[in-house]
Amino acid sequence: MSPFVSVVGSVLLWLCASLFVAAIAIVRPNRLYGLWGNVVPRLRDARRELLALGVVLLVSAVGRGSLQTISELFGLRLTGFIWALEGNFVAWLQQAFATPELTMYFSSVYVYGYAFLLAFPFLAYLALPKTATLRRLLVAYAFNYAIGLVLYTVVFAHGPRNLNVGTSLLYTHNPEFSALTSAVNETTNVFPSLHTSLSVTVATFAVLTREEYPLWTPLAVWLAGSVVIATMYLGIHWLTDVVGGTILAFGCVYFSHRIVDPDETA
Amino acid sequence: MTRPISRRRALAGLGAIAASSGCLGRSRNLAGRGMSSQLSLQIDAVPADRDPNAIRIARHLAENLKAVGVDARINTLDRTTLWRKVLINQNFDAYVGQFLESEPFDPDAMYAFTHSKFAAEVGRQNPFGFADLNGVDDALERQRRTEEDRHEPAAELQRSLSELQPFTVVAFPDPLTAIREERFDGWNQRQPLTVSGLLSLDRTDASGGSADDDRSADDVDEFLDGDGGNATAAAEELFGGDAAAEASTTLRLVTTDSGITENWNPIAAEYRRQGTFTSLLYDRLVLIDSGDVVPWLATDWDRVGPETVEVSLRDATWHDGEPLTADDVAFTYEFLRDTSMGSMETPVPTPRFRGRSSVVESALAVDDQTVRLGVESVNRAVIVRALRVPILPAHVWSDRTGAATLAGFEIDAETTEAVVSPNEDPVGSGPIQFVEATAEESAVFERNPDHFLARSKERDGEASGGAAAGVPERFRGKPAFDRLEIGVVPSDIAAVQMVGDGFADATVSTLGPDAIPRIGREADARLVTGRSGAFYHVGYNARRAPLSNPRFRGVLASLIDKETLVEEAFDGYAEPASSPLAASPQWVPDDLLWDERSSDPVHPFAGDAGTGSLDVERARELLRDAGYRFDGEGRLLAGQQ
Repeated sequence: MSPFVSVVGSVLLWLCASLFVAAIAIVRPNRLYGLWGNVVPRLRDARRELLALGVVLLVSAVGRGSLQTISELFGLRLTGFIWALEGNFVAWLQQAFATPELTMYFSSVYVYGYAFLLAFPFLAYLALPKTATLRRLLVAYAFNYAIGLVLYTVVFAHGPRNLNVGTSLLYTHNPEFSALTSAVNETTNVFPSLHTSLSVTVATFAVLTREEYPLWTPLAVWLAGSVVIATMYLGIHWLTDVVGGTILAFGCVYFSHRIVDPDETA
Repeated sequence: MTRPISRRRALAGLGAIAASSGCLGRSRNLAGRGMSSQLSLQIDAVPADRDPNAIRIARHLAENLKAVGVDARINTLDRTTLWRKVLINQNFDAYVGQFLESEPFDPDAMYAFTHSKFAAEVGRQNPFGFADLNGVDDALERQRRTEEDRHEPAAELQRSLSELQPFTVVAFPDPLTAIREERFDGWNQRQPLTVSGLLSLDRTDASGGSADDDRSADDVDEFLDGDGGNATAAAEELFGGDAAAEASTTLRLVTTDSGITENWNPIAAEYRRQGTFTSLLYDRLVLIDSGDVVPWLATDWDRVGPETVEVSLRDATWHDGEPLTADDVAFTYEFLRDTSMGSMETPVPTPRFRGRSSVVESALAVDDQTVRLGVESVNRAVIVRALRVPILPAHVWSDRTGAATLAGFEIDAETTEAVVSPNEDPVGSGPIQFVEATAEESAVFERNPDHFLARSKERDGEASGGAAAGVPERFRGKPAFDRLEIGVVPSDIAAVQMVGDGFADATVSTLGPDAIPRIGREADARLVTGRSGAFYHVGYNARRAPLSNPRFRGVLASLIDKETLVEEAFDGYAEPASSPLAASPQWVPDDLLWDERSSDPVHPFAGDAGTGSLDVERARELLRDAGYRFDGEGRLLAGQQ
């Protein structure tokens, strides 16, 4: 099996298993049971938001190559600026804290934890009787990807590991992951960190829905925090990207609440 | 390169003072002078994923520049963008890169690199805009013309270059390659990935029979039953091969350089580095094999007069079936000097091979198999270099001599289609021919059965060599592979992993210090290394102040601790050097040899050499001695440009 197929396979397998466990532990069987028969009307309710997210993802998948070329030719080349701004923070982070155990933890969180973090809220909010939260989440995801794509095109920058600020802990210890990341992203797409923005988006939603899913809130915050640290610890993103990603996340959550009104009907 | 903000603020203040004091004449004199501000320099380099060593050199220089008060910035660019910026647009301050020669080279390689007559051209030739008429130019001309004592002008050339530093030589890297000997052996221990290295490979038994026998079905079955089965299946998945037997005679290489998957133009400066794969596509008249001249497309060449060389050609055809004739060779030499073939106001020379094409002043086909080259009165070594250009098919390239257009518009009146063409479906005459490619993923080539190497074993006796007369025995019947597949991987570490896991036979691109220890951990992978001519250097744009000042460039050279860089950035797999000819020590005068030194003999490191710690005060003193000034906060000042 080629590295790409085996990594994707193991991520999918792990994702299904963790979703199954989390669905039972957090969403609880009675709500899952209520999901039965309501899936189709709820999805239909959220069709515009689903469509919007689908279009953004499609544009991102199809247009990424040509946008990358535009970025390469006309984008703002900011690697040196970001380095001048924050210096060797990422290298310091690695030197101060890196241990083989932590590297293993953050590598898994970066790939497996992140996949779970993005997928689970979709299931959890679909299980709620009202679809407002689900629709807001979808809108927030769409905003994250859309604005991220625009910024990726405007900003042409490489991550810290490419400036040899810190080392590439993820790829040095798990080169097979690079088959996955290089298939879904370009190395010059560092600002903002979409890992950060989507994780923070999910964590913010988790805090806002703490009454529905009290167990999910601390887990989401913990995982999101780990992903955010992992992006820097593994040498993939600058602190600047993380700050940019966090601002983007809060902006997207805010706009998703402005755009999608709460359900009037029960 | 300077920041004007401080000036504007200063002018506003001066205006206020002038108005209040009434002393207008003095104020005008003062305000009319350009204000000084901090010097800022940008260092261009490819990111660590593409070249782990270059970025370390850039970081080292940038940090030392910052320490002495220069606002140094690193700019990371993808490889083609970097070379487009440096070679074509020439809007750079400094870059970190590698020289193009994969093997130790003749002093004449410096001709195109540093001669002032190329300073105004676009391309690999003199990217620095450097000019030293009486020193470098004179020495370059003399080493071309003298037959007996080339050492004297060669030594003078190196001394001038070392003193004036149009570029700072950092180190000659060991060309490290991770290989797998399971399917192919005979990896050249010194130059595994040059044209001659790749053509020297032999199939092992595991790859399904030796080169001169047809593979028997038994061998293939046995191969599939054995451990190799997994690797073959994996290779199919990665490269999309369709038959196991086919995959078994495929040489699979991995690289981080995607150039060969999207552009096959042998004269494209921004896509080609050493041009190994384009050299396999496009035969040259002669080949250099470990320093020996091997007749290649030419069976023979003779100096028939002081300024005339007559070349006899081998019987050859192009990949599209057209015969290769003396007219193609004559066309190539004229084309390299002017890709517009006289159709434009001024000649548009190629952005590569300028040193070589400048030797041949005229080319005339005498008959189908003989071409007569008019050369300046140059020595034999220079002629041999001039014979090493890719021979191009006239019937393909004569259609590309017009001005380059984009959507029907002429963008640049000084560029021809030939220079910007990606040369899709390349038609060459070399031992491999193009099959298919997916941009940024892979490129596939196959053995050319009509090539003289392939024919030499089929029809003729081994004694004469037949079609490959004059070619060493180990090249006959080669290449040993039916297909050559080049896969693009995200980093050097991933490349080593691919070889370790059996998905590839060898890595092509530069390996960094993080990738090397991994080779040792992979059971079937082995490290091969040799001697390279591709020295790492920092190139300066001498068109821009203060980089136009050799004194300033000399101080920059003193900010680079080559010894430390070799230890830390290259993990010891490199030789620090002062002279660009250090890979051929017979040309280097004693005073420029590195030997047991710890620092550069001409521009020693301004600090504790070998430890990397810069003596900031000493470096500043060097700059003050060169006439530069600092402000109260220790920032190096640059006048307004």
